[in-house]
Amino acid sequence: MIDLQDIILPKSDPIIYWIIALLAIPFFSFLSTQKFRSKAPHWSTFLLGLNTLIAIYLTTRYWNSDFITVRGHWFKLGETQITYSFLVDRLTLIMSVIVNFISLLVHLFSQEYMRKDKAKPRYFAFLGLFTFSMMGIVLFNDLLFIFIFWELVGLSSYLLIGFWFEKKSASLAANKAFIMNRLGDLGFITGLMILYTQFHSFDLEAIKSLMIYSEIEGGNWVAQFTNNGHEIINTLDGRWLSAAGIALFCGAVGKSAQFPLQVWLPDAMEGPTPVSALIHAATMVAAGVYMLARIFVILDAQALEVVAIVGAITAFMAAIAALSQFDIKKVLAYSTISQLGYMVMAMGIGAYTSGLFHLVTHAFFKAGLFLSAGIIIHQLHKLESKEVMFNAQDMRVMGGLRKHMPKTFFCFLMCALALAGLPGFSGFLSKDAILLDLAVWADIKGGGFYIPEVLAFATVLFTGFYTIRMILLVFFGNFRLPIIMQKNELSGRLKEGNWIMLVPVAILALLSLSPVFGFTLNAEHTWFVEAMPTPIYLVPISYAAKSLVDVTPETFEALHGLVNAVSIGLAIVGIVIAYLAYKPNAKLEQEFVERREPRGFFGQVSFYHWYQDAFYRKAILKFVMLKAQALSWFDKKVIDGIIDGLAKFNVVFAHLIKWFDRYFVDGLVHLTVFTSGRIGQLTRSIQSGNVQAYILASFVFLILLMLYLVF
Amino acid sequence: MVHLLSYIVFIPLVAALLVLLTPKVYQNLYRVLTVLGLGLTLVLIIFAVSKFDGSVQGAINSEANLQLVEKTEWFSMSLGSLGKFSVDYFVGTDGLNVGMLLLAGIVLLIGAIASWNIKEKQKAYFGLYLLLSSSILGCFVALDFFLFYLFFEFMLLPMYFLIGIWGGPRKEYAAIKFFLYTLVGSILILIVMIGLYNSVYDPVKTALEAGYEASQVEQVQQLVQDGTIKSGQIVKSFNMIHMADADNYIPGSFLEKSGLAKIFGQPARWIAFLALLIGFAIKLPAVPFHTWLPDAHVEAPTPISVVLAGILLKVGGYGLIRTAFVMFPDSAYHYSWLIGFFGMFAIIYGALNALAQKDLKKLIAYSSVSHMGFVLMGLAAMTVEGISGAIYQMYSHGLISAMLFLIAGVIYDRTHDRMIENYGGLASQMPKYTVFVAIAFFASLGLPGFSGFIAELMVFIGSFKSSAIPAWMPVVATTGLVLGAGYYLWTLQRMFFGKFWVKDKNWVNSLTDLNSREYLMLVPLVILILVFGIYPSLLLDLINNSVESFADHLFQFRK
Repeated sequence: MIDLQDIILPKSDPIIYWIIALLAIPFFSFLSTQKFRSKAPHWSTFLLGLNTLIAIYLTTRYWNSDFITVRGHWFKLGETQITYSFLVDRLTLIMSVIVNFISLLVHLFSQEYMRKDKAKPRYFAFLGLFTFSMMGIVLFNDLLFIFIFWELVGLSSYLLIGFWFEKKSASLAANKAFIMNRLGDLGFITGLMILYTQFHSFDLEAIKSLMIYSEIEGGNWVAQFTNNGHEIINTLDGRWLSAAGIALFCGAVGKSAQFPLQVWLPDAMEGPTPVSALIHAATMVAAGVYMLARIFVILDAQALEVVAIVGAITAFMAAIAALSQFDIKKVLAYSTISQLGYMVMAMGIGAYTSGLFHLVTHAFFKAGLFLSAGIIIHQLHKLESKEVMFNAQDMRVMGGLRKHMPKTFFCFLMCALALAGLPGFSGFLSKDAILLDLAVWADIKGGGFYIPEVLAFATVLFTGFYTIRMILLVFFGNFRLPIIMQKNELSGRLKEGNWIMLVPVAILALLSLSPVFGFTLNAEHTWFVEAMPTPIYLVPISYAAKSLVDVTPETFEALHGLVNAVSIGLAIVGIVIAYLAYKPNAKLEQEFVERREPRGFFGQVSFYHWYQDAFYRKAILKFVMLKAQALSWFDKKVIDGIIDGLAKFNVVFAHLIKWFDRYFVDGLVHLTVFTSGRIGQLTRSIQSGNVQAYILASFVFLILLMLYLVF
Repeated sequence: MVHLLSYIVFIPLVAALLVLLTPKVYQNLYRVLTVLGLGLTLVLIIFAVSKFDGSVQGAINSEANLQLVEKTEWFSMSLGSLGKFSVDYFVGTDGLNVGMLLLAGIVLLIGAIASWNIKEKQKAYFGLYLLLSSSILGCFVALDFFLFYLFFEFMLLPMYFLIGIWGGPRKEYAAIKFFLYTLVGSILILIVMIGLYNSVYDPVKTALEAGYEASQVEQVQQLVQDGTIKSGQIVKSFNMIHMADADNYIPGSFLEKSGLAKIFGQPARWIAFLALLIGFAIKLPAVPFHTWLPDAHVEAPTPISVVLAGILLKVGGYGLIRTAFVMFPDSAYHYSWLIGFFGMFAIIYGALNALAQKDLKKLIAYSSVSHMGFVLMGLAAMTVEGISGAIYQMYSHGLISAMLFLIAGVIYDRTHDRMIENYGGLASQMPKYTVFVAIAFFASLGLPGFSGFIAELMVFIGSFKSSAIPAWMPVVATTGLVLGAGYYLWTLQRMFFGKFWVKDKNWVNSLTDLNSREYLMLVPLVILILVFGIYPSLLLDLINNSVESFADHLFQFRK
C-alpha cells in the first residue's frame, strides 16, 4: 500500500536558491522601497528587472528538463506532517516570466504615471508585495501555500485598489474586492477541509498520488493508504468528491471574477491604471485559472460541468455589460471578466492547454490595452485645472485622439484587435482553440450543453462590437472635451505620452501579434500548445469526465474550419455593426455624448450589469446589516436583559426578604419581647411590697382552694 | 532550577508586597517595580519553556507526562471513617498549559507597560495588578483542584477593583456584573469539585495508608475496586491528574465511571460535565453567557482590557480542557454536538454583533466572542487538529486581542472617545498608527502569515475531519471569516480612510502619532504574531505530544 510519508519526504534541489531569489527579491522590494523615498521607483524597478532576468534565465535553463519538486516539512500535527513544496515545470516557468515581465513593464510605466504622487514609495512597495504574493501562487505546489499566497494577493489587491485612500469610492471598492474574494475563499477553505480529511495532506503531489488509489465503493469515496505504517481508511460520501472540486473552484470564482462574485472587478478600477493592468487584468485575476490548472486532474465530471457553465455565463454577462459603458476602464474591466470567463470555461470543458494559452495571450494584450488607456487618462489629466473639471476616464470627453496621440492609438489598436480575435493577432489563436474544444465538448455532451456554446459564440460577436465601439469613441471623430468645455485651446494642449509610457505599451502590442507564438493560424502548431503536457484525470473512473484527449484528431479537424469561419464571421459582424452605429456623426454616437445613461431596457440591463450589484447591495448587504442590528438588539435587550432581569429580580426579592425579615421575623421577635415584657410587668405589679396586699391575696387564694377541695 | 514554577507564581506577589511597603513619596517606583517584577517573571517563564521538553510522551492522566513538577503536602487531616482530607501544593506543566504560561507572561508584562500612565491611587492599582498576575499564573500551573480553584477565585477580587475603581463611566455596573457573573460560574465549578473530591482517591497515598508500597499502585487500585481496602483507609484527593483516570474513582461513588448515580434521571457525570462546561463557558465566554464581556471591556482601563481579553478568557478555555474534557471524556463525547454547535453559533453570532457595534472597544469585544467560538468548536471536534487549533487559537488570540485593545487605547488616550462614527481619515493624520491598526485588524481577520490563520485553519480541518461533530458545522462557520473581514475593513474604511475629519476640533492637536512607549508595546506583539504565524512549530512542537495523548484519551470513549 502507498505510504503518505514516502510521498512527502523532504526533497531538495539546487533550484531552491533560485526559487528563494524569485520570492525574496520582490519581497525585499516591498520592505526596502519606502526607505528610498524619491529614488523608490528606480530601486523597485531595478529589483523587478533583476527578478525578470532570473525568471528568463530559469526558463531557458530548465525548459527542456523534467519537472523538479522541492519539499520541506513545515510543522507537525499529531502524526500528520504539514509540508511546503515547490514545483518547477514549464507552466511555472512561463508564468514566472509573464508575472515578472508584466510587473516590470508596469513598474517602468508607473515611473511616469505616478511621478507627481507623493505616496509613490508606498505604491511601489505594494507592487513589490503583489509580485511576491503572485510568485508564491505560481511556485508553490501545495494547496495550503497556494491558499496562503492567494490571500496575500488579495491583500495587495486591497491595498492597491484603495491606494488613494482619501477617495471614499476607492476605499469602498477595496473593501468590496477583499470581501468578495473572501466569499470565494470560504469555498477554498472548505475544499482544503475535504481534501485534508480524505488524504491528510495539502501537498498536491500527495493528493494526486492518493487520489489515483481512491475508489468509489457503493456511493462512498474511499481513500486507503498508510501513514508512517499506520493503515488509514477514510470514507466520505461520494458527493464530497464533487464538492471538493466545486469548493476549490469557488476560490477561483472570487479571484478570477466569475459569476456570481465578479462585481468587485469593475469597482477595482478605482485603483491606479497601471495596477489595473497588472493585477486586475493580466496576473492576479488569472490566478484562479492557474489554480484550476493545478488542480485540474482532481476535478470530477460534475465539478468540471459547474466550472464550464459558470465560465460561459460569466463570459456572456460581462460581454453584454461592456456594450454600453461610458468609462473606458469599465469597458476594459468587463471585457477582462468576459475573457476570464472564456478561460474558466475552457478549464471546465477540459481544454486545459487552450485555457492556459488564452491566459498567456490575454495577459499581454489586456495589459497593453490598460496601459494605453493609462496614457490617455494620464495625458487628459494634464488638461485639468480649476476651471476645467472632468472625469478623465469618461469616453464622452474623448474622441479623435488618433490625431493627438498616434502612437498610443496604434498600440491600442493592435491589442484591441487581439481582443476582438482577428486573425494575425494572438487572441485569435487562443480563443479559436477554446471555441473548437467547446464545439467538440458540446457535441459529446449534447442536449443542454449546447447552451454554453451558444453563449460563447454570442460573446465573440459582442466582443467585436464593444472593442470597435471603444476605438471609435476614443480615437475617431472630434475631440469632444474642448466642445463640452467650450475651450478650444484645450485641443492643442493634448500631447502624446512620453517614451517611458510608450515603450512598455509598444512591447505589449508587439506581443499581441500571433507570430510571437508561431507562424500559423492553428493553435495546435504554436510552440506554447506543443510545449504543454496533456493532463489525465486522476479521480475514480466512475466520477471522471470524458477527456478531450480521447477524441480523435479527425473530429477536431472536421469542426475546425467551421468554428474558424463562424468565429471570424461573428467578430466581423460585431465590428461592422459597431462601425455603423458609432462611426463619427452616426446617430448613436451623437446620442451617446448627450446621455447620462443608456436608454431602454436592454441598455439599462447592460449598463448596470444585469443589476447584480444593486441586488447585492439592496438585498444581501441590507439583509446582513439588518440581521446584525437585530442580533445586536437581541443581545442587548434579550440575553443581557435576562441577566439584568435576574439581577433585578434578586434585588427585589432581597427587598421582599428584607421586609419579611423586618416586619415578620423581626416582628415575631419584637412580639415575643413585648409579650414577655408585658407578662413581666404584670407579675412585677403583683410584687408591690405591700404586706397587706400579700395577706389579702393569700387569703383569697386560700378560700378559693378550700372551695375547690370541698366541691 | 528547582521550584521554578513557584518562583514564577510568587515573584509578582513579592513585588506586590514591595509595592505595598514602598512609601507613597516614592510612588513613581510602583510602576517600575511592577514592570521589573513581571519582566523577571517573563524571563523565568521563557527559561521554563526552553527547559520544557516537547518530546516527553505520557498519558494525559499520568504524572509521567508532567514536567517541572513541584508537589508537597499542603495540609491534611483525618476524618475518621470518612477517610483523610488532604490538599497538595501541586504545580507542573505539560503541553496543555505551557503555551498559556508563556502567553500570560508576555501579556502581563505588556499590560504593565500599558499601565505606565495610571495616575490615580497608584499603590492600590499596581498592588492589585501584581496580585492578579500572581493568581493568573498560579491558575495555569496548579494541578491540584483545590489550589486551582483558589487561584481561580482569587483572580476575581483584583479584577473587580481594577475595573470598579479605574474604569470608565459605568464602571460600578460593569465590575459588579463581571464579579457576580463569574461567581455564578465559580459556584458550579465548586460543586463539581466537591463531587469529584468525594469520588476520587489518591492511589499512591492510599497505598501508603493501607500499608503497601508506593509502587504497587495498580494492585491498590484493584483492591479498592474489590472493596478490600476499606473506606477509612482511602485517601481522597484533589489531584487533577488522578481525577482524569477512571481507575481512581471510588467504587459506588457519585461520579464513578459506570455512571449509576443519577440527577434528574440523567447520569451524574453528564450533569457534572455540564456544570463545569457552563462554569468555564462564562469565563470563555461562550454565547449566551457572554454579555458581561462587552460591558467589562468597555469600562475597563486599557491595560485591564488587555489582560482580560489576552489571558483571563483563556483561563476559561484552559479550565475547560483541564477539567471538563480531561476528567469527563465520556460526557464530553456525549455533548460534543452541542459544544460544536455553540462554537459555530458563537463564531457567527459574535461576528454579526461586531458588525453592528458603534463603539470600537465593543466591536473588538464581540470579535473576541466570535474568536472564542473557534476554541469551543475545536475542542468539540476532539481530533488532534481541532484541539491543537483550539489551544493555538487561545494563544494567538491572546496576542492579537492584546494588540487590538492597545490600539483602541491609543485613540482613547488622546480623545477619550471610542465612537467609530466620530472619526474619519485618520490615516493622513496618524499614518504609523494606521499601519499598526491595519496589521492588528488583518491578523484578527485571519490573514495568512499571522498566527490567527494557523489556528483557524487547524480548527476547521480538525472539525471537518472529526466524527464527533457533523461536517456542516465547520462549513457553516467559515462565514465567520467573511463577516470578520466585513467588520474590520468597514471600520478601517470609516475611521482611517477618506478625508481627515474628527467630531471635535479640539482633538486635532491631541491626535499625535504613536509615541515610543506605544511602539514598545506594539512592535513586540507584531513580531510575535508574525513569528507564530510563520513558524507554528515553535508552539506546536511543545504541545503536540500532550495533545495527541489528550486526543487518545478522548478517543477511548468514542464508539
